Amino acid sequence: MYKLILKMAWKNSFLRPARTILVITMIAVSMSMMLAIQGLYDGMVKNMIDKNKRSDSGDISIYAKDYRVQKDIKYRIKDAKTIKEDIQKIDGIKAVVLRLQAQGLLSTARKSSFASIHGIDLKEEEDFGKFSEFLKEGEISLEKRSAIIGVELAKTLKVRIGSKLIFSTQDSSGEINSIALRVRAIIQTTNIGLDNNAIFVDIKKLHEFLGVNHKHATQIAIMIEDNRLISKIKQMYPNFDVKSFLELQPMIKQMKDMMVIFNSITFFIVMSVVFIGIFGVVYVSILDRIREFGIIIGIGMQYKYIRAQIFLESIIVGLIGYISGAFLGLILLIYLRDYGLDLSSFSDALEMWGYEAVITGTIKVSYFTSTFGAIITASALSVLIPLRKIKKLNPIEVIKAEK
Amino acid sequence: MFALAIKNIFFYKGRSITTFILTFVSAMLFIVFVSWQDGSHNSMLENSLKIYTGAIEIYHKGYRDIGGNEYLIRDVKNITDKLSHIKGVEAFSTRYETFGLLSSREYSSASMVAGIKPEKEMGISSLYEALRDGDFLSESSANCIYMGTGLVKKLRLKMRDEVSFVGSASDDSFAADIFKLCGTFKTGSFEFDSSASFVNRSYFDELMYAKNMASYITVKVDNLDEVQRINDDITKVLNDENLESLTWKTLMKTMVEAMEVDNVFGYISLSLFLVVISFVIMIYGFINVSSRIKEFGVLRCIGLSKQNILSLLFYEIFILSSVAFMVAVPIATYICYYYSINPVVIEGIAEMYKDYGLVSDEIPFDFNLFTIFWNIGLIYILNFLSIVYPYIYINSFEPIEASRHV
Repeated sequence: MYKLILKMAWKNSFLRPARTILVITMIAVSMSMMLAIQGLYDGMVKNMIDKNKRSDSGDISIYAKDYRVQKDIKYRIKDAKTIKEDIQKIDGIKAVVLRLQAQGLLSTARKSSFASIHGIDLKEEEDFGKFSEFLKEGEISLEKRSAIIGVELAKTLKVRIGSKLIFSTQDSSGEINSIALRVRAIIQTTNIGLDNNAIFVDIKKLHEFLGVNHKHATQIAIMIEDNRLISKIKQMYPNFDVKSFLELQPMIKQMKDMMVIFNSITFFIVMSVVFIGIFGVVYVSILDRIREFGIIIGIGMQYKYIRAQIFLESIIVGLIGYISGAFLGLILLIYLRDYGLDLSSFSDALEMWGYEAVITGTIKVSYFTSTFGAIITASALSVLIPLRKIKKLNPIEVIKAEK
Repeated sequence: MFALAIKNIFFYKGRSITTFILTFVSAMLFIVFVSWQDGSHNSMLENSLKIYTGAIEIYHKGYRDIGGNEYLIRDVKNITDKLSHIKGVEAFSTRYETFGLLSSREYSSASMVAGIKPEKEMGISSLYEALRDGDFLSESSANCIYMGTGLVKKLRLKMRDEVSFVGSASDDSFAADIFKLCGTFKTGSFEFDSSASFVNRSYFDELMYAKNMASYITVKVDNLDEVQRINDDITKVLNDENLESLTWKTLMKTMVEAMEVDNVFGYISLSLFLVVISFVIMIYGFINVSSRIKEFGVLRCIGLSKQNILSLLFYEIFILSSVAFMVAVPIATYICYYYSINPVVIEGIAEMYKDYGLVSDEIPFDFNLFTIFWNIGLIYILNFLSIVYPYIYINSFEPIEASRHV
C-alpha cells in the first residue's frame, strides 16, 4: 500500500510541474545563497582567529601581572625560559614561544610613528604559527640588523625593503636608547595591532638593546591541542596573568557571538519565508484536488493513507529543493573556499580592518544538516492546515460540488 | 483594468494578504537596515572629522607621500590671507606636527606633538570640548602641553608635572625642551588619546624654528555638502602647483573604503532576504494566475489584448505593494527619524571596537528621505519583476484553449 502511496505522491508532486519547479528553485536559490553567506562570514572570522592566534597570542598567553595594563618592560616574566621548558613537557602542548616587546618611536629620515618592537625567534615562530606565511614582500630573515615590519606601519612610514629605520625607546634602566634597523620584509598578519604598529627583530638583539637578561620575556605564547589545558596552566601559574585567546580578544569573541546570532536570525527568517512558499503551493495543490480526495475517501480509503501521501508530496518537493540547494551551495562554498571573494579594489580598507583582500569561506557539515532539518520540518509543517481541511471533508458534498 | 484589479485583490484574499505581509516586511527591513548601516557609517566619519581631521587640508605636495621638513608649507601667511576670502570657508588654522619622545621622571613614550593656534582650534576641532582636566591652551600658555589621557596615563603624569621633549626641528637640528602639563583631553579615539599632545604654536614655533611654516592648513567649511566646490575654489585661488588641497574624502580614503566594504557585505546579506521574499511573492502570483487561466482566456476571447492582461497584473501588484508601503513606510520612517535623534546606545561597543576607530557607544540611524525613496523603488521593481513569469505563463495559452482550461 505504502509503495502505491509513494508512487502517487511522486506523480502528484509533479502534477503542476511549473509550480513545483518554482518552489524547488526558491528553496535551492535561497538555501545556496544562505550557505554561501554563512560560509563567507564564518570564514572571515575563522581566518581572523587563526591568524591572530598564529601571529600573537596563541591559544594561551602568559604575562607578568600588570604588563597588559602598563605595557612596560618593567613588568616582565623573569624566569620565562624555565616556565617555557616546564610547559613544553606537558602533554597536549603543540608549541611555546617567548617574546619580548617594547613601545617606542620608529623613524625614517622623513617620517616617524609610534611602534612596538617585538623580539622573536624566527625558527620558533615558524613552528608556532608558520610565520613565513605572513610574508607580503621581501625575505623572512632577522640576521644582523634586519627587521620585519607590519604592512600598515610600512605604509605610514613609506618604507620599502632595504629602507633604514631608527627605533628609540626607554631601556630597562630607564635610559633612552636607539637602534638602527633595515627593513628585510613586510608582513601582513591581519592582526590590526601588529600590522599597524609592529616591527620584529631577533629576540637576542632586543634583549641586548633593552638591557634585559636573555631569560626574560614579556609574553609566553602557547599553542595547545586540548582546550582543557587552559585551566590547568592557569592553576600552574597563579602569580601570572594567564589568558586564553578569547579572553585576550573580547572583540573577536563578540564578533563570533554576533555571527552566530546573525546566522541564526538569517536562518530563521529565510526558513520562515520558505515555509510560506511551500505552504502556499501545497495548499493550492490540495484545493485543486479536493474533489479527488472526496472521491477516494468516498470509496473507502482511510484518512491516514491520504495524510501519508500529502506528507510525502510535500517532503519530496522539499527534499528535491534541498538536494538542489545543497548542490548549488556546495559549489559556491567550494569556490569561496578555494578562490575566495576578491575585494582587491578595497584592499587598503580591508587591511586597515584586519582582513585580507581576498576573503575565503569555510565549509561546515552543520550548514547542511541544520538546513536539511529546517527544510524537511518546513515541508512537513506546511501540510498541517491543508490536512485539517481534508479531515473535515464531507465526501458526498465534495463529489456533488461543481469543480 | 484598475477597477478589475481592485476586485481581484479582494476576491483572492489569500494571495493579497501574503503579498501585503511580505512586501511590508521587506520594506521595513530594507529601510531600517539601510538607515542603520548608513547612520553608523556617517557617525564614524563625522566623529573622525570632528576630532581632528579637517573637511579640507592644504599640504605642500610630497608631505603626505614622502614627508620631511623640505615639504613643509612656507609663507603660510600669504596662503591664509587668500583663504579668508573664499566663500564657504568657515574657519581655518595652521598646524605644525612632529613626532618625538616625551619623558616624565621615569617613563618615556613616543608622541605626535603639534603646535596649534588655540583660539582658532576651538572653532575647528573638538580638542577644546574634549578637555578633561586642567585648562585648554591659550596664547599665553608658553610651555604648557595639552595631552591625551592615554598618553598621560602611560607617562604617569599629574597636572603641572614636567615632561621633557626630544625631537627634531624644522631645519633638522636637534630640538629639546621641558613642557608643563596644563590640561588633558579625551576625545574617545583610543589611538589619538594615547599618542597626541598639543602646544601653543607661538611657543612651539620658537622651539621648532618654524615661524610662518606649517605641516598643513586645516579648513572648516560651513556646509559639508559643498566641500568639493570649496576645495576647487581653494585650488583656484591658491594657484600654486606645489600645494595640494584635499577634501576629507581623500584624507580619510581608507575609512571611506572600509565603509563601502561594509556596505557591500550589508547588501549581500539583505539581498538574501529580498530574493527569498520576491520568490515567494512570485510563487503566490503564479499560483493565483494559474488558478485564473480560464478567467484570462475568457477576457482574451471578449477582446482584451495581451497588453491589457499585463496591465491587469501590473495594477494588482502595484496596488498591493502601494498599500503595503503606505503602512510600512510611515512606521519605518518614524523608526529612522526617532533613532537618528535618539541614537541606539550599545554600552561598551566603543571600547570593544576601539582599534576600528569607533569613538562612541551611540549608533545613530540616518534619516534621509532620498534613501527611503530608492529603497521603496527597489522593492517596487522586485515586485514588478515577480509578475513577469506568471504573465509569460498565461500567454503560453491560446485564448480559446485558456477559456476551456480546467
